[in-house]
Amino acid sequence: MLRRSFTAVLEKGVTFDADFETEPYEAGWAREARWFVQVLQADRGSGLVAVPQISPDGAAWCDEGSGRMSLVGSGMVSAGLLGFGSWLRLRVRLTGTRGPVTVLIHLALKE
Amino acid sequence: MDDQRIASDVRLSKYNPLPRILYFDDFDEGMNGWCELVGNHTGNLDQIRPIAKDFRPPQLSSCTFFDIGTHGSVDGTYSLKLATRPLQNHSAVAIKRMTYAARGRVQFEAYISFKAEIASANASGWDGNAAPSERHFGDFTFSNDICVGESGPRWHGVVRYRNADPDGNLVQRWVRPTSLEPTTKMERMGLVPAHPRQDFFSFRPEDWAELPGGRQPLCFNETASKVNWHYIRWLFDTESLRSLEFQCNDLLMDLSDVPSLIHDEKYYGIANLLNVYFAVRTHVNVRNFLYVDSALLSVDW
Repeated sequence: MLRRSFTAVLEKGVTFDADFETEPYEAGWAREARWFVQVLQADRGSGLVAVPQISPDGAAWCDEGSGRMSLVGSGMVSAGLLGFGSWLRLRVRLTGTRGPVTVLIHLALKE
Repeated sequence: MDDQRIASDVRLSKYNPLPRILYFDDFDEGMNGWCELVGNHTGNLDQIRPIAKDFRPPQLSSCTFFDIGTHGSVDGTYSLKLATRPLQNHSAVAIKRMTYAARGRVQFEAYISFKAEIASANASGWDGNAAPSERHFGDFTFSNDICVGESGPRWHGVVRYRNADPDGNLVQRWVRPTSLEPTTKMERMGLVPAHPRQDFFSFRPEDWAELPGGRQPLCFNETASKVNWHYIRWLFDTESLRSLEFQCNDLLMDLSDVPSLIHDEKYYGIANLLNVYFAVRTHVNVRNFLYVDSALLSVDW
């Protein structure tokens, strides 16, 4: 069989005006993961920093330690992960003027 | 398929399919075409009905918990998991899309389980048996979406298990909606309100009726990390556009007298639609999960 893959949309055009974490996502079947963070709209001077986090159970979380993504204004950033265990999420902090940002966040997983 | 062949297949022998199997999805093998349901739009995400914009991506779950690690599924590691956000009245919905080659009887079967996320609860008065988190689980729902020919009639059949009410009282009954499942077209026509936390299947909370003989306590088990699987079977007819039977474990409900809700509007572009979806909805600010070990759709044509 071909290598299975699955792309999940964790946030779909949602506007945030405060720091947030994405919902927990189980990915124990996947060998590799890649985050794509798009900022569709941002207040002038606003940006974000997104940090991949990992968890053994979907409840307790720590930073994965790599793949920190930062962006000012609209655009897209990406980071890949290997050997991450079973659960993934992003911790997102607003930066700059910390105005509202509208995001589209994909998680691409592959065996 | 003949009974002997089914009985000799260890994965199929727990099912009771009609003669032709359209799909048999074991989630140890991947998503099998089950995906997040999303409302209609023309490329602009802002057009999506608020209720149908955040039904969450399904997950391949190993049922892993903080206390025991991995639980696994019926005959492997993975099941399909739908997870709500920890927001009152939030729903997660996954769909599989087909079309039919002939009208007739259709049967959907699955092995499912349901859980609320483990949340710290006041343990005073805990008797060591009843699980406080059972009262954090709202409901799960099965629905079809059938469109006959080019423009309808269009029929949504819906069966829901209501586990608990918003006050945490156990309900444990199978119910059905008494008003139509709203569509994007209905919302744009102003027939139904736009609210992100309304019930996707029937926007008025009072528009639900108990199915005949529909009381059935299920096996939540005593702790939120103990996963017991339940058999469900739903038989419906795309010729008469009626539900016929719904079975969960040893409870069999005759649905042949239950009125079908048929849409008044014409719908184009969905000729011979044969969709099935399942959903989970939380009634409190706790994530609710629906797990599906495997699912099978069979027909009599």
